[in-house]
Amino acid sequence: MSDYLVKELMVPLSEYATVAEGSTLFDAVLALEKVQEEFDHTKYQHRAVLILDKDKRVIGKLSQLDVLRALEPKDADLDEVKELLQCGFSSKFVRDLRKQRRLLAAPLKDICSKAAKLKVEDFMQAPSEGEIIEQEASLEIAILQLVMGHHLSLLATNGKNIVGILRLTDVFAAVFHTMKECENTL
Amino acid sequence: MKELEKLFDRVVQRININLRELDYDVSPFIKNLVPLKQMVKFYAFYGITPHHPLNFEFRHSSLAGSYFLGKIRTSNSILYKSDIRGDELKHRGDILCYQKFEIPVTRDEGIDIEDSILIKTLIHNHSHDPETPEKFFIKNTASTHYANIHGSPADGCFLGPFATVDLTTMRDCVIGDFSYVQAGEIAHLNIGPGTVWVRKPDVFNFLYRYPLEQLNHYIRFAAGKLPRGIIMDFVEARKEAFQQVFDVVHIGPSVPVPRSASLDRYAVVKPKTRISENVLVAQRAYLQNAWLGKGANSQENCYIINSRLEGNNVTAHGAKIIEADLGENIFVGFNSFLQGRPRARLTIGKDSIIMPHTIIDIKKPLTIPEAHLVWGLITDSASLLANSMALEDFSKIDGNLVKSNLSFEGCGASFVSAFRDRIHHILEANGAFFNGAENKGHAQRNQNISFNTMQPYPAGKLRGLYPTIVIQP
Repeated sequence: MSDYLVKELMVPLSEYATVAEGSTLFDAVLALEKVQEEFDHTKYQHRAVLILDKDKRVIGKLSQLDVLRALEPKDADLDEVKELLQCGFSSKFVRDLRKQRRLLAAPLKDICSKAAKLKVEDFMQAPSEGEIIEQEASLEIAILQLVMGHHLSLLATNGKNIVGILRLTDVFAAVFHTMKECENTL
Repeated sequence: MKELEKLFDRVVQRININLRELDYDVSPFIKNLVPLKQMVKFYAFYGITPHHPLNFEFRHSSLAGSYFLGKIRTSNSILYKSDIRGDELKHRGDILCYQKFEIPVTRDEGIDIEDSILIKTLIHNHSHDPETPEKFFIKNTASTHYANIHGSPADGCFLGPFATVDLTTMRDCVIGDFSYVQAGEIAHLNIGPGTVWVRKPDVFNFLYRYPLEQLNHYIRFAAGKLPRGIIMDFVEARKEAFQQVFDVVHIGPSVPVPRSASLDRYAVVKPKTRISENVLVAQRAYLQNAWLGKGANSQENCYIINSRLEGNNVTAHGAKIIEADLGENIFVGFNSFLQGRPRARLTIGKDSIIMPHTIIDIKKPLTIPEAHLVWGLITDSASLLANSMALEDFSKIDGNLVKSNLSFEGCGASFVSAFRDRIHHILEANGAFFNGAENKGHAQRNQNISFNTMQPYPAGKLRGLYPTIVIQP
């Protein structure tokens, strides 16, 4: 077993960017900017915002990709894509069609301005079972969960509540450190 | 009537079990669509000819107003004013070519309807399923007004009004109202209303979606209600004319019919209609001031009114042509609704293909140039431009085309030639090319049909059901 526990590697919830349920995407982006200014004591920046309910419990995570997803055209377009794929059109056809539509759509500035007013809960990802890890768990278990679920981070709990976030980058740094130690002792 | 009610509920349950993955309940859509007491009002009938097999077996079924020709079996089913036309079934000794396989047909093919409810539905052609070359099965399936099941075995499906499934085996699918599907094989799909989908895997894929708001003017179907809209109103307004034809036992043609042509005694023919050589007019066709040139045809549930068809025209099942002038060799696909007006006639140039389920509804005169492919909803010259293309140009497509609501991928030339081959085959099968000695088709073979009628139990708990009837030569 490694020397590392999740709680030693995670970013505590208090240091992480959070916004309340009902906030807009713009609120979330501002929260992310603020926390990056305040807690940028490592060379890696925070890349997600946690969404809290009125009892300060984490109900979801908004990643950078989720924000970009908010810029994409909505339901009608997605329904069309689903239908085209269901009817046997190739992925290339669908990709080309979406690119074509995108070029004809409104300029990026207009899309961003609209997206800024949207609610975070419409785009956040609710934590899935494989994304939760005990803060007392070892690094090996964290690696297993990250690899199995293709996650960029895990939410660490004290058994009841989410108390921190374990980022891929922190796990990688610990693995890298262990590798170096191994090489030096050989 | 208790037994009939029980049968209805049982069939509905079986369909719902098949459609559980789609979370689709057919019950509110078909309950009361036809009151079961109607099932005793109309006789069923079958045709006898020297050219088609005579092999019927009806068990525990209600067959009101339905027509049968060929080799057909029904069991535990309710059919209402449906046409089960087995004059294109495969014969013993035929070879079914499918991909690299040459499949011998070991016995005469039959249409097998089991645990199904078919309302005003047409079943025609033969099974294109290489897995069941001798059995064209329809089971655990419900279809509603003016649906067409054409060469398409079905298991566990629901077809909305004016839906067509063509040359496609389907399992556990819902086909929305006014949708047309020709895709070889489909399973577990819920096809939305107003979809026109023609696919040959790895060769071409054609998909048109009607704007629903506009389609609703023409046809709409909601749970607990009868189908509504302009097309339904159009058909309903002419219902009585058919009633008269069905009520008379002996009826002769009201217009001259050439020896090489066929006019079904269950077609409605109104004055000033002209029937030329090699013309085929099927049962439940409606002609009024219609000029049908040599080799033209009008299939089941077709309406041709105040129109002229120059010759070798295919008017496929359920197509309607009103106040129009059509050149030669024009194909008007299934359930199309082409409505010109007395002062705004529709003119279609020769060799054009009007895709199945096309709606043309114009207030000003409109001309479609010759050799064009036409699809979707057209109300004026602007929408014609958006929804048509010269066949020559369409043949040049090699890749993608997105045009208005149409998505096309693949080889345009293959698509056009598939349609042209099919049209040629239909004309051939219908006897359009008969020369007095060779190339006989339906127009010549269906001339001398005798019709026998069958009646259900008039009262009691079996009221509306037919006794078991086996009819063989």
